[in-house]
Amino acid sequence: MAIKNVWFITDDLSAIGELAAGARKLGEHVTAVLFSEQDQAKEAIACGADQVYLFKKTEGSFIEGYSKEIAGLIRAEQAGLVMVYSSASGRLIAGRIASQLETSAISNVSDLYIEDDHVVAEHMVYGGLALRKEKALSDTVVLTVGLGVFEANAKDESREGKVTEITGEAENAGIKVIEIRPKQGETVNLKVAKKVVGVGRGFANEEDLKMAEDLASATGAELACSRPIAEGEKWMGKERYVGVSGAVLKPDVYVAIGISGQIQHMVGVNDAKTIVAINKDKNAPIFKQADIGLVGDLYTVLPKITEKLKA
Amino acid sequence: MRIIACFKAVPEEQDIVVEKDRQLNFDKAEWKIGTYDLNAIEAGKQLVEAEGGQLTGLAVGGTALDSSKLKKNILSRGLDDLYLVIDEKAENADTYQTAKLLEASIRKIGEFDLVLCGAGSSDLYAQQTGNQVGELLGVPVINSVNKITPQGDKVIVERVLEDSVQVLEVSLPAVLSVTSEINVPRIPGMKDILAAKKKPVTEFTVEDIGAAYVQPTSLVLSTQAPEQAERKLNILEGDSEETIDEFVKLFNEALK
Repeated sequence: MAIKNVWFITDDLSAIGELAAGARKLGEHVTAVLFSEQDQAKEAIACGADQVYLFKKTEGSFIEGYSKEIAGLIRAEQAGLVMVYSSASGRLIAGRIASQLETSAISNVSDLYIEDDHVVAEHMVYGGLALRKEKALSDTVVLTVGLGVFEANAKDESREGKVTEITGEAENAGIKVIEIRPKQGETVNLKVAKKVVGVGRGFANEEDLKMAEDLASATGAELACSRPIAEGEKWMGKERYVGVSGAVLKPDVYVAIGISGQIQHMVGVNDAKTIVAINKDKNAPIFKQADIGLVGDLYTVLPKITEKLKA
Repeated sequence: MRIIACFKAVPEEQDIVVEKDRQLNFDKAEWKIGTYDLNAIEAGKQLVEAEGGQLTGLAVGGTALDSSKLKKNILSRGLDDLYLVIDEKAENADTYQTAKLLEASIRKIGEFDLVLCGAGSSDLYAQQTGNQVGELLGVPVINSVNKITPQGDKVIVERVLEDSVQVLEVSLPAVLSVTSEINVPRIPGMKDILAAKKKPVTEFTVEDIGAAYVQPTSLVLSTQAPEQAERKLNILEGDSEETIDEFVKLFNEALK
């Protein structure tokens, strides 16, 4: 049985297609909450929404301040399920709405379906060690969901829906946006990369990463890393970190270089079609999870491999 | 500044064993302070060191919290005092149940300027307790906080979003959840460990803080290690020309 009213909320327009498809799959009537321009509302409707609440967003607005108002709409329209895109803002909105609705926010859901008239959500726990299945019990289920959980449907520009613009200001007592500045360093979207080269502690110095860069450029791959490289050494930005609290990817090929294969990292690439591993320790757990492996010192073998791949 | 840093007792994930039937075995896993909670405590400590004030530790949970080792450990991280709500009813609490208990505890403790939480608990990592507590307390609440600078009766915080950094002026009291990159938690020295013995610890039950029972949001159906994808395990060894040629051949096929 489908849920009568399913809502999705996103501050990131790239998530509209997937969330709308997920909401469509689970619900009879789909409502989107967006914070932007008219044309995005049209897109949400083409992707499957029946109605859109469009909140005002200007440079320097703090959209989380709409949480209480959104919770009020959800309550009034008796939504059974609210899916919030798991950006930083989305997570805060989800938590605030959940508190307003006197329930929890189930987080970072990796699969979602209906079983015996209840929403069942799956998500990783214990640092990726296990997958937990939970049957939601509240009248309105609130959860956060990222990209890659649902597949977007083809857009149907002829679909019609109701758009309600909310022109009031967000309620932001005590919070003032002073400045928004671009993040230091480049932004990278590992999730769309078909090939990814990941580096780990097997690299002794930051400048040695050049060898991995060379391999990445020879193979057209994006560069990624394990947590110690991003958070311990800070040789790479956090957006390149793959693992349970970082990016979870589904590339065609993942090449793990100098990565031991700890579960917390591997959970981020378990869905790769092919895993290639290079590590000098033949007992490293990575070799139990790889399709192709080479036991060897990366300092010796990596330049040779890159050379031969280029040839 | 009056700061309350929240933390959670979690099983040491390195010692959780995955059994053959993919069930988890916690027999060897000792309870420890959540990894990301240490960033919240350190952030509080740095603010108190710079501005003066008081740093209080607060946790709600089951009997796992009633461990002298864990109490000593948390107190050696520079807390001035520690409040624990230890109750069977707080075991396996979901984010709303936890937030309700923390809300009641914070109201019981009294006045505060800042409540600090980590990025998420290292066992369930819902990243929601701070957000939910802030909303329940009805004060400004911000997540993903990467820098906190006091400014009179306000704080200036830097909040990391996906592609930008928001600089916010937040009036106090407020609830902030910090990132795991905001600082590197210091390791307690001998002096800190000795000082920990003199710090007051207050223990409450759920009744003591006057919290009403809240129904759980969900029923856990199963917690199981994910099925591993079948891999080809084509592992070569050595750095001879032939081995590398063979590896490159396989690698090239995969790249196609």
